[in-house]
Parts: sequence; C-alpha cells; structure tokens
Amino acid sequence: MFHIGKNTRSRIISKGISAGKSNNSYRGLVKVSPKADGARNYSQCDSMLIGDLCGANTFPYIEVGNKSATVEHEASTSKIGEEQLFYFLSRGIDSEEAVSMIINGFVRDVFMHLPMEFAVEATKLLGLKLEGSVG
Amino acid sequence: MITKNAETILSVQGLSASINGAQILKGLDITVKAGEIHAIMGPNGSGKSTFSKVVAGHPSYSVDEGTLDFKGKNLTDLEPDERAKLGIFLGFQYPVEVPGVTNGSFLRLAYNTVQGARGKDELDPLEFDDFIQSKLNLLGMDASFLERSLNDGFSGGEKKRNEILQMAILEPTLAILDETDSGLDIDALRVVANGVNTLHGDSDAVVLVTHYQRLLNYIEPDFIHVVDGGRVIKTGDKSLAHELESRGYEWILEENSSSVS
Repeated sequence: MFHIGKNTRSRIISKGISAGKSNNSYRGLVKVSPKADGARNYSQCDSMLIGDLCGANTFPYIEVGNKSATVEHEASTSKIGEEQLFYFLSRGIDSEEAVSMIINGFVRDVFMHLPMEFAVEATKLLGLKLEGSVG
Repeated sequence: MITKNAETILSVQGLSASINGAQILKGLDITVKAGEIHAIMGPNGSGKSTFSKVVAGHPSYSVDEGTLDFKGKNLTDLEPDERAKLGIFLGFQYPVEVPGVTNGSFLRLAYNTVQGARGKDELDPLEFDDFIQSKLNLLGMDASFLERSLNDGFSGGEKKRNEILQMAILEPTLAILDETDSGLDIDALRVVANGVNTLHGDSDAVVLVTHYQRLLNYIEPDFIHVVDGGRVIKTGDKSLAHELESRGYEWILEENSSSVS
C-alpha cells in the first residue's frame, strides 16, 4: 500500500486460514511518502488455525516518511478447538458443517464486500478446500 | 413429577470415566425417568461436570466401565451429534464464543438438523423467525439477540439465557444443565428457572447440576443426588438440599466414609 497524496486513507484486512500441516504467512508493505501529510493506514491480520499441526505468521513492513502519518497494525490468531467443535456437535451439527460455519463467520468481514457472484463462488471454493480437513 | 410406569430415559450404572488417564467417575449410578427433575450436587471436583460431559459425549473423556443407556440404547459408541439428534441436550457451564457466526443462523442450523433427524419438516429462514419469536418471548430476550455473533461479547446472564433458548427450540428428551445458575443475578435466575419449568413436561426429564440450593427454590427437583469422589454417595428428595445448605457437605462425606470402613 503506497500513500503518495495528502490525507489519503487505506485499510487492509487479511484473513488467513491454515489447515492440516500448512503454514500461512502475511507479508505486507505500507509505505508513506514524505509528501503524504496526514495519511492513515489501518491493517488487520486475522489467522485461523484448524488442527494442531499448522501455523500462521504475520510480517508487517512499514516505511513511513512523513511525521504526520498514522499507521496501525493489529493481528489475531484463533483456533477451531475441541471445545468449539463440541459445542456445535452437542447441538446436533456435525463437524464438517461446524467447521464450515465457523470459517464462513471468520471470513465474513471480507466476503461481504465482494460482488455477490464472486462471494458465492468463494464460499463454495472454501468448502471444497476444507473438505476432510477435520477428523 | 414422579409418575408410575414412566419410561426410563437415562440409565447409568457403575459408570467409570477418565480424562488423560485420570479417573474422575468411579462407579456412578443414576436412573432418570420421564417427567422427573433430578439435581446433582456436590463439592468442587466431585465429578458433577464430568458426568454431564460424559453423557453428552465430550471427546476428551473415555468411558472405562459401566453402562450409559438412553431409552435403552447404549450411548457409549455414539458421537455427540448423534446423541443430540436422539434428544440429549447439554446446557454448558461456559458456552463457547464464536465470532462471525450469527446466533440466528446457528440456532436455525441446529434446529433444522435435529428436526431432520426426527423426520420432521425443516423451516426456512422466514418460518424460523416466526417460530423463534415465541421462544424469545418466553425468556424475555430481544430479537436483536439473533443478529449478534454466537455468545460473542454476551454477558454471563445472556449466555445462560441463550443456552435455555437452545433448549427451548431443540425440545430435548433429556436436558442436562451444567451449573446454569452460576453467574446469574436473581432476576435472570428467575427467568431461566421459569423457562425450564415451562419447557419441562411429562415426556422429558431434566438434570440440574448445581452447587447451590438457590436454583432449587425456583425449580423443584424430585430427587437430589450428592456426588463425591465420582460416585453418588447420597440420594434424597428436595429436603436434602435444605439440609445441605445449612450443614454443608461435610456430614454426608463423614457419614459415607464411616459406613464404608
């Protein structure tokens, strides 16, 4: 993300999901040029882990050339744990459905900004990718 | 209410269960029949909560010995979701928070899954809205509850109400409420107790797991079981709760240990 002009604003939301033995890294550069007075950036990196063998990393790069700029970064990691799954199971919902519901909730912030057709495709793709990842 | 010839809903005999190799339940016996309300009381670490989780099928606990039958069907090999579909409900002591999943969609999925398993019609979102409104009224909950993330940022009282709301829509045959009264103020306790009393009928049973006699002022149990060391050491009627409140658990523990030795 490059901030060149004055009073420019930007927001980055990254949602990463790691399942099985996968590792997911976020690397993002936010650069504010010397002329960009009052520039603002907010970055949020959320990672979700499914199972015990996966991981997630966040490497935010920030280069700020203007003293009046505000750059924020927030990161969170959550895990679909046994307790969460048991809660869904104890209501009759099987684990595949539970995971898909939790994951869809996790990515909702991003998917709700996508065009309808694309959001539908993305949701389906996510379901396919995660099939059999629990158990 | 105790009725003659009532169907046995839960039959637990000599149940022993452990977690990570540590044995928590050591030969627990309880029989629950239709129409009855049972209360399980006992000191901290006695195995009360373990019992409720074992019945619901928590994967961390393993059943080592004894029988665990629901309406004559052996539960031990069934997954938690299969038990839920049969009509077993666990009201959680600490309901988990799931950000991003709306309460309404969670409730609808749970309802439709369980309805489907019972061979009944599923409801579409509009029909479900109408259906759940009456249940919300019962518990004095606002419809805005459905739009919020599942238990996320709920107060202690709201979480417990939400558990009873789930009980209301799933209409279980056996409802086990694990310390539903803890963390509730008097008003919330009354609402929750009122909800349980309204939902309870002749064909289902309720098991209350609790520390305090307070809840039993509002929900009158037919039987009270005192659990210690993973076993039921005393069973009585509701007067036992009053005695426990005034005398504590010590005397039963002593009575029990002297009768054993």
